[in-house]
Amino acid sequence: MALQLFLNGLVTGLLLALPALALTLVFGILRFANFAVGALLTLGAYAAYTANVVLGLPLPIAAAFAAGTVALASLIADALVFERLRTRGSITLLVASMGVSLVVENICRFIFGNAARSFDLAVARPMRWNGLRINHEQLITAGVVIIALVLLHLLITASPLGRAMRAVADNASLAAVRGVERRTIARITFALTGALIGLAGVLAGLDRAIDPLMGWNYQIPIFAAAILGGLGSPIGAVAGALLIGVAEEMSALVLPVSFRQIVSFGVILLLLLFRANGLFGAKAIRK
Amino acid sequence: MTARPCDPKAEELSLALAVSGLRAGYGRGGDIVCGIDLAQTAESIVAVIGPNGSGKSSFIKTIAGLVPTRAGTVAVTGRDITTLSPARRVASGLAYVPQEANIFATLTIAENLKLATEFLRGRAGVGPEQREKVLDLFPELRQRPRTLAGNLSGGQRQMLAFACALLANPEVLLLDEPSAGLSPKIVGETMEAVVRVREAGVTVLLVEQNVAAALGIADEVVVLVAGRLTLRASAADIRQADLAGLFFGKAA
Repeated sequence: MALQLFLNGLVTGLLLALPALALTLVFGILRFANFAVGALLTLGAYAAYTANVVLGLPLPIAAAFAAGTVALASLIADALVFERLRTRGSITLLVASMGVSLVVENICRFIFGNAARSFDLAVARPMRWNGLRINHEQLITAGVVIIALVLLHLLITASPLGRAMRAVADNASLAAVRGVERRTIARITFALTGALIGLAGVLAGLDRAIDPLMGWNYQIPIFAAAILGGLGSPIGAVAGALLIGVAEEMSALVLPVSFRQIVSFGVILLLLLFRANGLFGAKAIRK
Repeated sequence: MTARPCDPKAEELSLALAVSGLRAGYGRGGDIVCGIDLAQTAESIVAVIGPNGSGKSSFIKTIAGLVPTRAGTVAVTGRDITTLSPARRVASGLAYVPQEANIFATLTIAENLKLATEFLRGRAGVGPEQREKVLDLFPELRQRPRTLAGNLSGGQRQMLAFACALLANPEVLLLDEPSAGLSPKIVGETMEAVVRVREAGVTVLLVEQNVAAALGIADEVVVLVAGRLTLRASAADIRQADLAGLFFGKAA
């Protein structure tokens, strides 16, 4: 039982890792917490639903379509809202992102209504291994997220674009006088994180019903994961997501399942009280 | 000073840096830089000195493009760059080393050096040759390429910052208080490095709080008080002058 919950928790954590990473990257490079991450996740699920069920495309193509749609939506939000408020400080941007969140959520509701929907996917019997149940959706989620994380890691650590992103996160005005256009890096960051959130939306749609409020189930765990890992730290966000995922699932051993969300709130509360920089937030470098 | 050409057009072309009527400030506040004219011939070192809060740093940041220009123009080797972004100004031959936080502390030395030219497509003279030339000026940087730049000492950081700026093969190098926070011995080494940079053919404009250090290497000195230039003189002349009078006598 405990092992099964641990396994489920790891998969839940992997699902959280993509949007938590998106949140932390935007925070590091653009210096604000993007509250619209949950609503964009919902949008990703609906985009995939449209491609998969309405247009009848296979799920992998629908997932690519979802990633593209959310990337585009993020770019539009940047052009219409975030870029215009860039000099106004992180609280203004945070509040603006709440507005974007409401707009995106209600666009989904306007188009698709409140009814719960799901992908066109054959129901498969879960695999059994040493008494553990592993279903296909979990395998897909784990595979997709791990591949995405490896690619993203290579991008950030070993490519010119990744260097530029880290440079802007480190010191934006110095990056500007080294020839890195902040504007370009901001757009690329929004597109990239949008794609990650869109992908997570598809994976969330495999796990549960798609409805306009589905993003809210992930909002608090995503923030808890990113803060736990230390906002701005990509590796921290992934570790935080795994910890939150496992903690949420394992809480079923001691708490009624409907109280799951307490775990994320509790983690945020404890961090604010004792370690506001998160686990990985303490800089290894003395400034 | 070099002899002045008679043709004004030719004179303009021989100027490495030409600032005219420059006004700048932050947000909705008043002007911090209140109409500055400054022409600098190629391969000279000009030091900007003045009391605290006189707008020296804002002046040099405005030239670099980090503080928005409200009026006036900035030209590098005769080319107007006033409307360009900070990043495009670098590609036009204007490099800038900020006062502090002038290296990426969370990146390694090698990454700092790589990033200095990676996004300067189309800038002439940027490449392996320039890299060798610059690293010959600062040989320590060849050691320990994988060290995080944030773990370097103050003097080493300054050298890395100079090297990164020079990798862009600039015509004009702007230095904002290169001696800030350094021990006297390191200040001497830093100033020597500035002279080597000039000998490599670069025009240097530096803002300096440490007047003695600046006078030691500059050809000319300009005094900035309350956002305006109040005096321009050769460094040799100003050595005898009463600096306190210059700084405060003309400050309204």
